[in-house]
Amino acid sequence: MPEFSSQNIKHLLNRTLFGFSKEDYFMASAEGSISSLVKKLLQDKSIPEAPNSWVSTTPAQIQQDNGSASTWYKEFTIWWNQLMFKESLSIREKMVLFLHNHFSNERDKVNYPQYMYQQNQLLRKFALGNFKQLAKEICTDPSMLIYLDGNNSRGPQPNENFARELFELFTLGIGNYSETDIKQAAKAVSGWQVKGLESVFDSTRWYKETTLTIFGKTAQFTVNSLIDLVFEQKATAEFICRKLYKEFVYYKPNEAFVQEMATVFKVNNFELKPLLEFLLTSEEFYKASYQGSKIKNPQELIIGTCKLLELPKPDANNWYEMAIILQMQLFNPPNVAGWPGQRNWISSTTYSFRGGFTDSLINGKRYNGAAVTGKLDTLPYIRTFLNAEKVDLLVEDYFFYAFPIPLSKTRKDQLLQTILSGTIVSNWTTYIAMADTRVNSFLKALMRLPEFQLC
Amino acid sequence: MKKINRKEFLHQISLLTGGMGMGLSNFDAKAYTSTPLAFTQNLAAGNVLVIIQMSGGNDGLNTVIPAEDDLYFSARPTISIKKEVALPVENGMYLHPSMTGLKKLFDDDKVSIVQNVGYANPNRSHFRATDIWNSASDSGTIWDDGWAGRYLSQIYPEFPIKLPKHPMAIQLGSVESLLFQSHRGGFATVFDDPNLFYQLVNGSVADNDLPPATLAGEELAFLKQIASASLQYSTIIKDTANKGKNIQSYPNTSLSKQLSIVAKLISGGLETPIYLANIGGFDTHANQINSHANLLKTLSDAITNFQIDIQNLGLADRVCVMTYSEFGRRVNQNGTAGTDHGTAAPMIFVGNSVKSGLIGSNPNLKVLDSSGDLKYQFDFRQTYTTVLRDHLGATNSSAASLFTGNFERLPIFKSSPDSISDAGSIDLANPWPNPASISTFIQYTVHQSQEVFLAIYDLSGKLINVLVHEIKVKGEYNVSIDVSGWNKGHYIVTLLGSSGKRMTKNLMIN
Repeated sequence: MPEFSSQNIKHLLNRTLFGFSKEDYFMASAEGSISSLVKKLLQDKSIPEAPNSWVSTTPAQIQQDNGSASTWYKEFTIWWNQLMFKESLSIREKMVLFLHNHFSNERDKVNYPQYMYQQNQLLRKFALGNFKQLAKEICTDPSMLIYLDGNNSRGPQPNENFARELFELFTLGIGNYSETDIKQAAKAVSGWQVKGLESVFDSTRWYKETTLTIFGKTAQFTVNSLIDLVFEQKATAEFICRKLYKEFVYYKPNEAFVQEMATVFKVNNFELKPLLEFLLTSEEFYKASYQGSKIKNPQELIIGTCKLLELPKPDANNWYEMAIILQMQLFNPPNVAGWPGQRNWISSTTYSFRGGFTDSLINGKRYNGAAVTGKLDTLPYIRTFLNAEKVDLLVEDYFFYAFPIPLSKTRKDQLLQTILSGTIVSNWTTYIAMADTRVNSFLKALMRLPEFQLC
Repeated sequence: MKKINRKEFLHQISLLTGGMGMGLSNFDAKAYTSTPLAFTQNLAAGNVLVIIQMSGGNDGLNTVIPAEDDLYFSARPTISIKKEVALPVENGMYLHPSMTGLKKLFDDDKVSIVQNVGYANPNRSHFRATDIWNSASDSGTIWDDGWAGRYLSQIYPEFPIKLPKHPMAIQLGSVESLLFQSHRGGFATVFDDPNLFYQLVNGSVADNDLPPATLAGEELAFLKQIASASLQYSTIIKDTANKGKNIQSYPNTSLSKQLSIVAKLISGGLETPIYLANIGGFDTHANQINSHANLLKTLSDAITNFQIDIQNLGLADRVCVMTYSEFGRRVNQNGTAGTDHGTAAPMIFVGNSVKSGLIGSNPNLKVLDSSGDLKYQFDFRQTYTTVLRDHLGATNSSAASLFTGNFERLPIFKSSPDSISDAGSIDLANPWPNPASISTFIQYTVHQSQEVFLAIYDLSGKLINVLVHEIKVKGEYNVSIDVSGWNKGHYIVTLLGSSGKRMTKNLMIN
């Protein structure tokens, strides 16, 4: 079992949570071992209550026309952000986001949030559950039917969109099926329609052939038997495990380890929890070389920075708008492949906006002057650190929480200079003149370091 | 291209050597005019390529429409566009009725359309196909860099150690495309608003710390490179945007906004050679009639207003717009009044320097591949090679090195080889090294045996040196010249073939 060291605890929290506070870190340390901390992170939790009653209203054009749909989408997004912010020691919301990115649907096309909410709760229900069962249910999920044109697809002339992405992006991965397999599978998944908030099957809209042949097997395939067949293909377990590896470990997968994961996944009949337990307690996961090698996604940056700064009531509107600017609006991935992640998060513009966001939590206003509520109350916050009055130790403690890798000596010196701004270490107290300004400059400079984008 | 006889050939040589400024009509008098201005008018100097990516897979058959082909109508009973409403271009092909602007530009001789562009073993995945188009790999080979990134690596050999004064590539948007990736890092500066970009970068500082030699260090190095390029370029981008202007007013669409910024930056003097803009939404699997019409209108209106704008700004000779999409769509419509993923599709080129017209045969709807998709006629890398060589001024060998070999050019530009069979009866590469001080190499290629004349002139038109004057068989030739005793300054290398083709390159001695 990997060592229960401060560095390993931090790494585990960085990868399974949307950032963490000192408090989270202390709670994690109290678990005493990696295995018990992992068990804690993988605990089942009850499904949260709906954001509002609109979730069960029947979709109607008026909701688009009067702007309700977009208001609800925002409320729904913030509801999810709050779940992330208050997740404590649970991997669940990270997994829901992983699944949302995997079974990617866009709000531009699924323009009633009721459907997307239903899907989001489905993903949450299966976040630590059976992936194969989830794949079956997602095939007839109303949001997915709308998004990939399964809605109204008829057997004789089916729409190929869903079948193609089911194979390419949801299960097998590219290169593991033929164009004929897609055409046949498109027939198997036809016949479904969205009515109200439900999906219904109409056999008269299904295919007329007595059998289909997919991956060389001939049968009268239904959605369920098609998914069973797909999960019999060797590529499927590997494909899902590779994607989990890239999310949790490193974006260039270690194929030998992916194979080990795939074996665990299959032996456990595609249950996610034992697979994640295997991954998060493996020596592979904790290798020093992987620590700090992930570029934070915008949700990790946005929510995680608010946790780091221990903001009691951060501005959810700021979250919502900055996530759009940083290219990770929830329920609005760029396309059916989801967000590609890692270096794709960073361009000259998004990198700069990241600095604008972290500044805003300290300044209480955004780069464009818009007010940001719930900004940092600097001195009370910094005094929660044990070493608040010993500045050289304070900055070291802070570096531990803020960065996944050690800073260079030059960097540390620069940041110490920034907080001192003219005074000397022995004169430091949080009661000297302009202490709050000094700390603010320190925090802003620290969060603008490229190292801060890593986790 | 019209062949010339030996007498005419010799006459042209004599003109080159002695007949300065005689303005013979056969020649466009570029290589040997005496003003240094010739340099700024030279083919590649300051030329700009504006690439528009149409994401999602544009339905080519409903964009450039075979509206006189019965097979088109039988394949698409409810989503075809009737000849009566479509906009005729030529040879039985029509533009979508919403592309009135593009039709006008076509009639004004500013639009070249290459039909049936694709590649062997087409991939129908959005993501893989997009990567293929951006990396310009073969279908079965995965390359993790972009063709523009590789080209810019040649142009800016010192990147990322040294950054040039102006951005090397600009992408309007937020997520840097594979197109600009190279093994030395990404070349594009990415933003949507010049002033906001400047404002945001403020507060960050550059540093020279070496990142640690770990995996995290690799990511850190990447972040630092982005950070320093942003710091380096945010000021000049803001300044040129503020100095530049738009004369034309653009429609209120994202693509138009992107192109208006491009026009502003070029007019403000930014020397960036390649821009990328994007319009999404082309994945029209269902009920495509209205949505596709709107997309094409947005595209056509944006390009048209951009072209008018840069014309009014006096920049149009230097700028070419090129569109691409990851694939076309299935010939037969599907059961939900849309089209599924297909293969070959037309590409559109717009600018003063393009040779207006349709290139290639009309889509063959009779002979389809096993999925019911169009077979391609031109490899997409032929279009890239053409743009690189005839618009951006890349040499034959430099363009070929970006791809899996030499792709034959298409007659997209007025300066392109006239017909496909005629392509480049002779070719002249840039001298290397250039600038030179001791010696330099000049490489030229003869595609068909002919008499060639290779010589160097100074800017006043004085003949300095005749390097070759003889019949050469098909092949690639190298000439080394000693320039150590030469005066510093600009020279012009001229290659003339008895096939009638003439090419020039600049040479600088320092």
